[in-house]
Amino acid sequence: MDIAEHMLRTGSRGFRDDLARAVDDLRRSVRGLGLSWSLAWHDVVSRYRGSILGPFWITLSMAVMVLGIGFLYAELQNIPLETTLPFVALGIVFWGLISQTVIEGCESFVQASGMLSQTSLPMLTFVWRTVLRNLAALLHHLVIVVAVIAGFGLWRTMDLPLALAGVGLVLVNVSWMCLLTAIISARFRDIPQIVMSIMQFSMFMTPVFWQPGERVGLMDVVLTWNPFFHMLDAIRAPLMGVAPEASTFSVLIVMALAGWVVAFGLFTATRRRIVHYL
Amino acid sequence: MSRSAKPPTAPPRPDQAFISVRGLTLRFPVYGYDAKSLKKHLARVAVGGRLDQARHGSTTVTAITGLDLELRAGDRLGLIGHNGSGKTTLLRALSGAYEPDEGQIEVRGKIAPLLDLSLGIDPTATGLENIRLRGRIAGLSARQVEDKLDEIAAFTGLGPFLAMPMKTYSAGMQARLAFAVATAVEADVLLMDEWIAVGDADFQKIAHQRLLGLVERAGILVLASHDLDLIRLYCNKVMRMDAGVGSEVVSIKAMDELLARPSVR
Repeated sequence: MDIAEHMLRTGSRGFRDDLARAVDDLRRSVRGLGLSWSLAWHDVVSRYRGSILGPFWITLSMAVMVLGIGFLYAELQNIPLETTLPFVALGIVFWGLISQTVIEGCESFVQASGMLSQTSLPMLTFVWRTVLRNLAALLHHLVIVVAVIAGFGLWRTMDLPLALAGVGLVLVNVSWMCLLTAIISARFRDIPQIVMSIMQFSMFMTPVFWQPGERVGLMDVVLTWNPFFHMLDAIRAPLMGVAPEASTFSVLIVMALAGWVVAFGLFTATRRRIVHYL
Repeated sequence: MSRSAKPPTAPPRPDQAFISVRGLTLRFPVYGYDAKSLKKHLARVAVGGRLDQARHGSTTVTAITGLDLELRAGDRLGLIGHNGSGKTTLLRALSGAYEPDEGQIEVRGKIAPLLDLSLGIDPTATGLENIRLRGRIAGLSARQVEDKLDEIAAFTGLGPFLAMPMKTYSAGMQARLAFAVATAVEADVLLMDEWIAVGDADFQKIAHQRLLGLVERAGILVLASHDLDLIRLYCNKVMRMDAGVGSEVVSIKAMDELLARPSVR
């Protein structure tokens, strides 16, 4: 974590130079990941100050939702509870990680305007802060995950390394989404609303609660072209002891690369001006 | 101001702090309320037209124009000038927050911007938590913060109140804590927007001592102030800013002549 010991700032010298500066920001922010974590953990602590359960309130409300929706959808879709409940539980927990990170990504820079306008802290520090904050929240919700894994004997069939790889890929993907929404919503203040609508819409279009049936017609479109389906499936399927779709991991890798190129390109192009947006 | 009029300066020794600003120009795009709404932005693109452009287009304010500044270890620069002359903007640029539009800023040494004491302070968190958080933001590692914690806590003089949330503090107590943390970081380059004076009479005295010590140890001080006596007291050089244009840096003894000029432009 450094306030640069040697600092050189110049007017724009073209894209290559700007790119080098953006990479330098990235490098410094990764070296200062400890600061991001301190800020993230402070966010978690301060958000639930004075409450007894703290972040476990969200866990508890998720658990209630899991039970309610689990029983309802088991009935509605005529699927045995043993499959529906773990499916819904894992769906809700990991969907929470994805959608909260993207939604809270909008505030990453806006919230940090004070620090960004009078220190040389790397900007990406505040993107990592959002991602790490949601990772900290996930750690609390793991209670639910562990409960269904133990309660429904998923540990006998699950592929934990693959699921962890899925979590890793999902984090890489939500990170670029976080950066993208952070930049755009610093400039245009309506973006958080739009992002929230998109995420809500996506929740219903993604098999978070409902089990996908046969891949025909609209269902095939929804599953193939919905990035969030692949993100969710990469974590949930291995935990359920099911092989994820053959394409899922390649989709996630391609999406991570393409997404980072776009988000980092935008970051490179706007980095000088972001502080003025705030 | 002409660049050739300045005396040639010796290259800085590699182990010493220096500030070198050359031809710095800073422009702020001001995004009007209208321009910040995407819908209207899209509407503007769709409609096109000069009228809309004039109404919704962002304006640019030039805060600093072609500023040159060379400081070496031992320099204590006072920045003077009217409100809006660019003093704070220059300090923020020196802190590394603003990127130049033209020219360059080079600073060697650890920079401590003491521009806003409340930076990173969370009123719902306790005093101790705020010390930790603020220390981390100022660039200390978690271990360094723990090492300094006792010293900072003792300096605030808040005792058992450090375990209470900051929002229960009086304004003076909050300022004590903020001051204690902000000044706990050793730095080579100190940036200050007005001399910091906080707390009651007793605290002001020890705060003053602490700040002086910090300034002594720092290589370079840049202090923006409207208080000329203060500048005379702490600075050995002075620069006047006028509508974003900086004068040359003169010795503090020549401050009256600098002030007597109608404009530095």
